[in-house]
Amino acid sequence: MSSAVIVTEGLTKYYGKSRGVVDLDIEVREGEVFGFLGPNGAGKTTTIRLLLDLIRPTRGRAYLFGLDSRRDSLQVRRRCGHLPGELALYEKMSGADLLRFFANLRGGVSWSYVEELAERLDGELSAPIRSISRGNKQKIGLIQALMHQPELLILDEPTAGLDPLVQQEFYRIIASCRAEGRTVFVSSHNLPEVERLCDRVGIICEGRLVDLVEVASLKKRALRRLEVHFASPPPPDALRGVPGVVDLHADEVVVHCTVRGSMDLLIKALARFEVVNIVSHEPSLEEVFLRYYERGGSDAE
Amino acid sequence: MLSSVFLKGLRDRRVSLAWWAVGLLLFILMQIAFYPSMKDNKSIQEYMESAPDALVAFTGTTDISSPVGYLNSQFYFLMFPILLTILAISIGSDALAGEEGRGTLDLLLSAPLTRGRLLLEKYATLAAAVALEALVIYAVTALSALAVGMDLDFLKLAEATFSLLLLALAFGALALLLGAATGSRGLAVGITAALGLGAYVLNSLALVVEGLKPWRRLSPVYYYGGNDPLANGLKGSHVLVLLALTAVFLGGSLALFRRRDLSA
Repeated sequence: MSSAVIVTEGLTKYYGKSRGVVDLDIEVREGEVFGFLGPNGAGKTTTIRLLLDLIRPTRGRAYLFGLDSRRDSLQVRRRCGHLPGELALYEKMSGADLLRFFANLRGGVSWSYVEELAERLDGELSAPIRSISRGNKQKIGLIQALMHQPELLILDEPTAGLDPLVQQEFYRIIASCRAEGRTVFVSSHNLPEVERLCDRVGIICEGRLVDLVEVASLKKRALRRLEVHFASPPPPDALRGVPGVVDLHADEVVVHCTVRGSMDLLIKALARFEVVNIVSHEPSLEEVFLRYYERGGSDAE
Repeated sequence: MLSSVFLKGLRDRRVSLAWWAVGLLLFILMQIAFYPSMKDNKSIQEYMESAPDALVAFTGTTDISSPVGYLNSQFYFLMFPILLTILAISIGSDALAGEEGRGTLDLLLSAPLTRGRLLLEKYATLAAAVALEALVIYAVTALSALAVGMDLDFLKLAEATFSLLLLALAFGALALLLGAATGSRGLAVGITAALGLGAYVLNSLALVVEGLKPWRRLSPVYYYGGNDPLANGLKGSHVLVLLALTAVFLGGSLALFRRRDLSA
């Protein structure tokens, strides 16, 4: 049941002298939603373009459905739906014409399903693409990837430009793909999105896979920067020694800190005081990486 | 019109191809309208016979009062080959490099379509578009020649126009090759246009500059018009040279395009 849909073996791509991705070993299991998480420029798009044979590896191999990504690319692409990262569409066509064109290239697309997707995502299909917003273009790209109900979806930053309501609908569509047993490979630089969407996450940084984890364990390690606003200046050691709380520093009535994993113990420690406000910041992915994935980094800093 | 890359290519160009047809029509009608006055004008004919070589390099002939001479000097020696080659270069350079430059190639090649198939369909669009304009050239020239009472062999006119088409297709294939190999439309246009211009200049100058005569065979343009197809019809070996050039360029584009990393 958990046979691998995507396998990469030492997949490496150099551009000239600069590094694209290095020695990537990934296995994406059938039926899972796999998140490929990393900051911009980490090599996510490069990896996806290698899988689809748009670029060729310097060394290493990739297999999709057990097929060689290079030699059997045609069969691979027949069974995939792909949303490119820097999505560019035919600006002069309408969304409907563009989708009809790609439906014809693929064959076997049910137009009523295209209309259903367009309705769910609230897509604009009749206007020329050059006249529609970035979010609406992204929807057309998504419909294009989904319309032939492929076994494997490869989506590069799928929610870029989508407004929050449409994002929610997109999450539901992915959930139903998962329920139908399709495999989803989704790249993102957005940690909460990956936590929300995926079963497993591969974390890529500077072209290397630095971690491969279940989403559940990622949540345990999640970092949150907090600002706690007290009604009156708290005693200096109010939060000292609370497990998971680091980087403490107080500024009159405001205490800044970073919490790792569950907030429970901190909340309980705070309950003794009058707290006016708590502001939570998701750390940028870069911060997460700098702290926890660089060699020698530790949480006791 | 959206069922294949080939047909979509024609659909994308339908407006521009219609304007090309209108432009060619007006240009041909205007020039042919001068023919009756030219034919009876002895002084122009006398002038041409003593014309400087430089003029011959632009008309290819000193005889501009006979139907064949007139059509050659006004259309077939210079203007038609240049116009049709420009059309072929603009389509050929845009075919793959244009998609790559605009970033749409990633989407297109996510579809189950081999690179080879894509390239050949793109070239088929080019060939059909250029053939369409060649047909316009033939039909408008033939009909307007009839209208002004030119005594003309319409089969030879067809042969000359076909030769024209072959020349344009060869330069179109070269533009496609450079675009497919580099992904840069500007580079494909620039190099092909420079080589094309060089080929015309060499072919024309070799008519009047003795020292250049042996080099004329290096110019593809020679294999289009060197035999004067309007007067003599097609020459098999010349047709083969043009077809072979196209085949080599297409084969080269296939090999280079299949091998290359596409830019995002």
